Amino acid sequence: MTLLTTRPGEIGVLAAGAIRSALIKATDQANISTYIEGASPLAWDDIADAGWDLVGIHEDEDSATLRDLVEIAKAWGETTVQLPLLPSIMAKRHSSAAAEHEGPVTFSIHTQSLAAGTGLVPFGQIADIQMMTELGNDNGSLVSVPGLVVDDFAPSLLTAQSSHTTVFSADAAREISVVWAAEASGIAKHAVGDAVAYAKQRKQFGKPIGSFQAVKHHLANAHMHVEQAETAAIWASLDPANAHRGAVHSLNLSIKAIELSIQVHGGMGFTWEMGLHFYLRHVIALREMVTALGAHA
Amino acid sequence: MPTIEDRTSREDFTEAARTWLQANVPTRWKENRGSLTEHESDDIRHEWDRQLHRGGFAGLSLPKEFGGQGLSMIEEVIFHDLAAQEQAPDGLARIGRILTAPSLIGHGTEDQLARFLPKILSGDEIWCQGFSEPNAGSDLAGVTTRAVKVEGGYLISGRKTWTSFAKMAQRCLLLAQTDPSAPRHKNLTMFMLDMKQPGITLSPIKQASGLSHFAEVQFEDVFVADEDRISEEGTGWQVAMTTLMNERGSVEATSRYVEIRSDMDLLLKTLGDRPELRMQLEELDMRVELVHWQVSKAIDIDIDSPDFFRATSIMKVLWSELWQATSTFGLENMTPETADHWRLQYLETRASSIYSGSNEIQRNIISERVLGLPR
Repeated sequence: MTLLTTRPGEIGVLAAGAIRSALIKATDQANISTYIEGASPLAWDDIADAGWDLVGIHEDEDSATLRDLVEIAKAWGETTVQLPLLPSIMAKRHSSAAAEHEGPVTFSIHTQSLAAGTGLVPFGQIADIQMMTELGNDNGSLVSVPGLVVDDFAPSLLTAQSSHTTVFSADAAREISVVWAAEASGIAKHAVGDAVAYAKQRKQFGKPIGSFQAVKHHLANAHMHVEQAETAAIWASLDPANAHRGAVHSLNLSIKAIELSIQVHGGMGFTWEMGLHFYLRHVIALREMVTALGAHA
Repeated sequence: MPTIEDRTSREDFTEAARTWLQANVPTRWKENRGSLTEHESDDIRHEWDRQLHRGGFAGLSLPKEFGGQGLSMIEEVIFHDLAAQEQAPDGLARIGRILTAPSLIGHGTEDQLARFLPKILSGDEIWCQGFSEPNAGSDLAGVTTRAVKVEGGYLISGRKTWTSFAKMAQRCLLLAQTDPSAPRHKNLTMFMLDMKQPGITLSPIKQASGLSHFAEVQFEDVFVADEDRISEEGTGWQVAMTTLMNERGSVEATSRYVEIRSDMDLLLKTLGDRPELRMQLEELDMRVELVHWQVSKAIDIDIDSPDFFRATSIMKVLWSELWQATSTFGLENMTPETADHWRLQYLETRASSIYSGSNEIQRNIISERVLGLPR
């Protein structure tokens, strides 16, 4: 085994830190169910003004690496808002046409839940969002989402179905998979944090449920899943040959962590208002798209 | 050839260590260790500790002022990985180097450091660990081995168990109760007891696998001098925590990774052509590589940060449960060529989730000390 450094570079650390604090400030750490079906607590203009959608563009040796984007995506996932930052970063990284466009950019992926020839478009419901016809090798152009149909499975992803699908280069498909896996590990981290807080406060039998060993061990397992999900995303970012399987494995671990977080919440865990299902829906949709991207790798 | 001190990058250190290992791992061990007698095997392992010292590879991450190499955990992990790949012997000096040395550096006197560290690093003195007892396993604070104060020292009486290297050890790092009336965690003291004296009885423990890695040790009024007590009376628990929470976790995980990788390679070699097993093999293979990446991530964490401590419990649970999974899979799918290996490995790895702090204790540590859940 070669021992590589697993640390992100300076740009990854700085951008992740800035994104993390901006999201915490914008949401005031409110429960996701209070805002995810309405207006985003953060505006796209705030993102564009900070230039975050351009952070993945390769200019010189100090530009963000995929490892840096993992750090950024994880920070982004830690507070879920309904904005197309990650698809825009990746589209602008892999297409100069997308990079020159001022607004958000997305793409369309044919997945297992869709009829042949149609694709799932993350944030396709957003007015004026542009979609790439091809991504990678600097091919493709921007279009409005063709044949748009709203798909409301994952409200935080504002997905739409389209009658067209994007053609991905192997590199673009690989990198998008890795970035989404990292985002999911951030989402899972947030869900486990919610479950830990709930277990400290919720009482049964006169004690916080978090004092019971059965609950503790669920949370310890959930925490380990998140740790490993992050590790798998880092591995995927540094080892292209294993990127796709690493990303899918990472997403599976994040899903397990969110499932355990729901379990720890007891009956509240499967209510709409507690909001944990938004995380689960988001990560399941990401897994569906990442699995499909494997066909392009 | 430049000395180790001149080599700063991971690549350079890796190259130096690999070259040294290839030149120094004994051929008899590499090629014929199965046919060596226990005595011959112990001789090679003991000599290996001295070779490491002469080659400048003993105490890699211990500070230079204490005779170490002044490098970091990164070099420790690289070296252990390479040593396992080159099939280097497992030395006998392990307990002294990874448990006694950090305890002495943290809590010992100048005199104790001068008396013990050089022989620990040179490999001349073998140590064993006297912590666990028949009635104090996961509840380590419950040790009842007594240390009764006498003129110039203490008399030790009690039973220690799961003691590796007991037969060869000159010294035992021993946790005993000095004040039964004091509150829990304040009634214990750490000693460095001379194992070559009367009153010590060893009984080997035969394990479920049929192998015997440990002994039970009975002490009857065994003397230990005042100058061989670490720190003050009543500080034994704190000293034990220093010992157990030093950074051994990632070194242990690295050695285990190489062993599990070798088991995984055997699975792939013997079962890789069975399409019905492909998915499971793929999943196990990925978990094996994740252990390696988890270690790489852990050693990039600042050792003084609480994150590092968090990382060691996670690594322990991951490698131990994975090793059980690979050996269980091997057993379920064994062939005439691999049956002996998997039967033994399956029984041996029943222990991996129990030793080095049981996985239940590790999960308690994660949930209470990392996640802050109430006790």
